[in-house]
Amino acid sequence: MILGYFSSQIANELGHQAKTMGFEEVEHTADRALRIFGINLQELLISAAQGMTGLMVPDVSGVSAEVEKSIELDAIDAESLLVEWLSELVYWAETEMLIFTRFSIQNVTATHLQAIIFGEKVSELEKHIKAVTYHNLKIIKTSQGLEATIVFDV
Amino acid sequence: MVEIHDFEQLDKHLFEVPVSFRKDMRVPARFYADKELLKGIITDNSLQQLINTATLPGIVKYALAMPDIHQGYGFPIGGVVATKLPDGIISPGGVGYDINCGVRLLATHLNQDEIKPYLEDLATILYSNCPSGVGKGGNIKLKTGELEQVITAGAKWAVKRGYGAEADLERTEEGGYMAGADPEKVSQRAKDRGKGQIGTLGAGNHFIELDVVHKVFDESTAQRIGLSQGQIAVQIHCGSRGLGHQVCGDYVRRFQKMIAKYGLNLPDRELVCAPLSSPEGQDYLAAMKAAANYAFANRQVLAFHIRRSFEQVLAGKVSNHHVFQIYDIAHNMAKVETHQIDGKRVQLCVHRKGATRAFGPGSAELPSVYRDIGQPVLVPGSMGTASWVLVGTEGSMAQTFGSTCHGAGRTMSRKKAKKTIRGSTLREELEGRGIQIRAGSMSGLAEEAPSAYKDVDRVVEVVHGAGIAKKVAKLRPIAVIKG
Repeated sequence: MILGYFSSQIANELGHQAKTMGFEEVEHTADRALRIFGINLQELLISAAQGMTGLMVPDVSGVSAEVEKSIELDAIDAESLLVEWLSELVYWAETEMLIFTRFSIQNVTATHLQAIIFGEKVSELEKHIKAVTYHNLKIIKTSQGLEATIVFDV
Repeated sequence: MVEIHDFEQLDKHLFEVPVSFRKDMRVPARFYADKELLKGIITDNSLQQLINTATLPGIVKYALAMPDIHQGYGFPIGGVVATKLPDGIISPGGVGYDINCGVRLLATHLNQDEIKPYLEDLATILYSNCPSGVGKGGNIKLKTGELEQVITAGAKWAVKRGYGAEADLERTEEGGYMAGADPEKVSQRAKDRGKGQIGTLGAGNHFIELDVVHKVFDESTAQRIGLSQGQIAVQIHCGSRGLGHQVCGDYVRRFQKMIAKYGLNLPDRELVCAPLSSPEGQDYLAAMKAAANYAFANRQVLAFHIRRSFEQVLAGKVSNHHVFQIYDIAHNMAKVETHQIDGKRVQLCVHRKGATRAFGPGSAELPSVYRDIGQPVLVPGSMGTASWVLVGTEGSMAQTFGSTCHGAGRTMSRKKAKKTIRGSTLREELEGRGIQIRAGSMSGLAEEAPSAYKDVDRVVEVVHGAGIAKKVAKLRPIAVIKG
């Protein structure tokens, strides 16, 4: 079980706990899925990145921040921006075994993102993420901020 | 959720959710099952996903699912959707991220007694020669511009480079390559992901397996295919690796804009699509074919590594260590095919996502060696359980656009499998049953435990009973190699 960190929790109409930030894994028959939370889009994107990284490398405590990359992405809406953002991390993990653990988002709107990400090359990944899907992807406003459920093809 | 009272039973193994179930359905949704499989099918969202595909523009007759149906993303796994050309759609999500994931079956002239003294060594050498696991690159270095040749010519490229024989191509779906692939429609990122992975297995549910032909159900067909009881065979299950994953992802993202452009009303954004006749549809088709060719080439190079392994371990020790090809099939693909619809020959785009083409006897698309018996269908079981060789039938042509099942189908989530099953315990249990296991990851092994899957025998009985494939032979595993 992978759990993110949460500053507060309340029950809401979604049938689970709304949270301000973090992530949790949800059941999926064939693939892997994460529910992610953030008080705003910036935090939601960071939660998603941390959650997906946690699937690939469950213990990131030893991963340094020696590699730095600047990222700039455009998308048609916030859901697409989320998929683009995570797909960027999938690409670096697969082609160069680069895992990122620090995410500095400098500028974000629903359709544009500028960020600097920090991490390092690892020797092995526990889980290969083939792709980030749009399956039932919708960023929902909750009493605590934003949440979404993302399904990964593994 | 779809409840039992929402669908009706049309035949012993065929069920239908009527078009009246949901306003946006264009056609009914049909699926194959028996009572036991039905219990599993209604517990996850797979029927909801099947019904969603029944809303796609241009869909003909019905949205279909094979008995190994289980929850995926967008399309259910086990789904078959045919759309009418020229305006019917093509959906990248309807093919899936692992474009041309498929199975290749090789066979030998050896029996279990002959191979037994060398089985452990053979499993070890296969694991060493066939790169597997997350992030493991291949041992084939491509020259500048060679990746473009791979994705243009598929397994033909590999044979030309010395990784197989012409006879392999004849016994591969599409002759080992799809014409019309366009490297220009494949992104640089996809090429980056694929360039170092030719001849690699990857991780997840992909594997190489040594099997014994356990039982033959149709002697004459088995003989024609080249299988007999007690014979050692080898299966390869893998696909287009990172290149295919990136191609699908690129086009699912690009196609999000098609929702507005073509006025699509979709219940799930993963179902994004474009008319096949549109520039976007044509671009995706050309890129999908390129990824499909990568997968054909990948399995061809892995077959070469397997032959090399047999040579290394068995040369001079057994009478004949030759490894020959039975067939190679795709189970994630969209293809333009002509089918009989209400008495007329109609051109369709048939999406098979976790479903296998199963053309019946006489189909012009089949190689001459198999044309009179129907297409061989390769159905891998879950790890440690049986696999099956079937052939396509007239029934599959009439009922399912020439399609049938592709495997066992999951019932348990990966998360739950890892929580309830220990990889090391599973390994001991399988080895106790005489199955050699060579795996890079114990947690990966646990995720693929047999208990996380449906009973493949039951799935096969349903397709056989429904007449959408015919049983030929059952294989039993003796060694499993995976990442």
